[in-house]
Amino acid sequence: MPGFLVDFSNELANAVERAGASVISVPEGGREGVSGTIWREGVAITAEHTIRGLDEVTVVLPSGETAKAQVAGRDHGTDIVVLKVPGAGSAAILADEAQARVGEIVLSIGRRREEGLAATYGLISAIGGPWRTGQGARIDRWLRLDLNPFPGFSGGPVVNARGEVIGMATSGPRRSAATIPSSTVNRVVDQLLQRGRIARGYFGVGIQPVAFPEGTARTLGLEGEHGLLVVMVEPGGPAANAGILLGDIVVRVDGAELRGPHSLQGALDAEKVGQSVPVDLVRGGKPLQLNVVIAERPEK
Amino acid sequence: MTTAARLNPEASSGIRIGYSVGSMAEWLRRITVCIRGPRGTRGSGVIWRDGLIVTNAHVAVGKMHAIEFSDGRKAQGTLLARDTGTDLAAIVVDVAGLPVAAIRSAQELRAGEMVIAVGNPWDGEGAVSAGILHRAVGKQPVIFADIRLAPGNSGGPLADAHGNVVGVNSAIFRGLGCAVTSDAVKEFLAGAGVTEAA
Repeated sequence: MPGFLVDFSNELANAVERAGASVISVPEGGREGVSGTIWREGVAITAEHTIRGLDEVTVVLPSGETAKAQVAGRDHGTDIVVLKVPGAGSAAILADEAQARVGEIVLSIGRRREEGLAATYGLISAIGGPWRTGQGARIDRWLRLDLNPFPGFSGGPVVNARGEVIGMATSGPRRSAATIPSSTVNRVVDQLLQRGRIARGYFGVGIQPVAFPEGTARTLGLEGEHGLLVVMVEPGGPAANAGILLGDIVVRVDGAELRGPHSLQGALDAEKVGQSVPVDLVRGGKPLQLNVVIAERPEK
Repeated sequence: MTTAARLNPEASSGIRIGYSVGSMAEWLRRITVCIRGPRGTRGSGVIWRDGLIVTNAHVAVGKMHAIEFSDGRKAQGTLLARDTGTDLAAIVVDVAGLPVAAIRSAQELRAGEMVIAVGNPWDGEGAVSAGILHRAVGKQPVIFADIRLAPGNSGGPLADAHGNVVGVNSAIFRGLGCAVTSDAVKEFLAGAGVTEAA
């Protein structure tokens, strides 16, 4: 019997070692250093929020050597920043995340400048469909982990028991561990390497959530009781061109009812750029529909 | 009986791991003692060799200690040495023929290796928990493990998948279990004048 436990133990340690060959340390990240994952040859990723404002960081490679890494692009929405690190080491082996199952053992792996590889283990506790981050970015799959996040784990890989990467670890709400699945990371890395940023749709309005007086929502045929009050219209922007005015209350975009400021961003995915979408609003207490041609959000 | 057997899934590797941890826990319980504090608190200790129990300094505060063995035997233990720096203490008991821990150097541990703890938290005597080594042990005499420990685990064994004791559980730090390495225990015992068993 103990032989079984020993095999299990060795498998886990092997998985950490195997995956660890693609894990780097980013000592400048966060308060006490974070981790990164060598995603492709010479390309690494880490959690964007941990190195905001930096164009170049020093990283500690799996070999133990330090190297300079240039920021090639960052996406606040998915919390991914792409680093160019020539000769970083071997790229992570990606798992077929569609094969991931609830109950599967997973490991979160990080690297610390002084102490080297670090790991915690747990399970995939739930798998769900696409979701949106607080910044409105679309994530292809919800992977809920029963796993203890540890200091500096952000940016490192979440791997299965074979050491294959199912996603990038980052911090979620309430000290939890969120996972950006590999398919989403691939999509974002492609775009960031090509353009240095992620295309997002853009309306050109400033908004403020407001509640309708009791009964008004029902009279207007709305399910929710909230709308988004337009408090700023950018001159020459898509909304201004469509005739949206200050004081209009936006209730639906492309037929979907808005549930808060994030839902407006949700309606502005990159694939909608250039399209004309119907926007339902309330102006002077009366419903009104306009068509807005969604533009691409300009670079700041 | 046959109904129950049919309801159970086939003995997959996952199930066998459960059995393995169970039988490992059985062994580790035999080398773990319960140390009762003056105010009803409980701590744990490891039978390091016959008649010698190693625990935490914060568990063994006084001179005399009420020790309970897993087979139900009870004995008074006398404090032999105590070091708050490493949080270690050694207690001698006048009981012979005890099962003794097998010791492995914590320096050999790899990150991700399985570790098992046995101890006496308030809600379970001889409670077992399992986890993995968080990171390889460096120069410090501390093991960090991704394992759920509770206050009563203090002084109890942290073992590897073979059942070899690699450390003495001592603290919880940011959700990680901390144990004093077996290597530090050896040094402590040598410093206390306890020579290697013949």
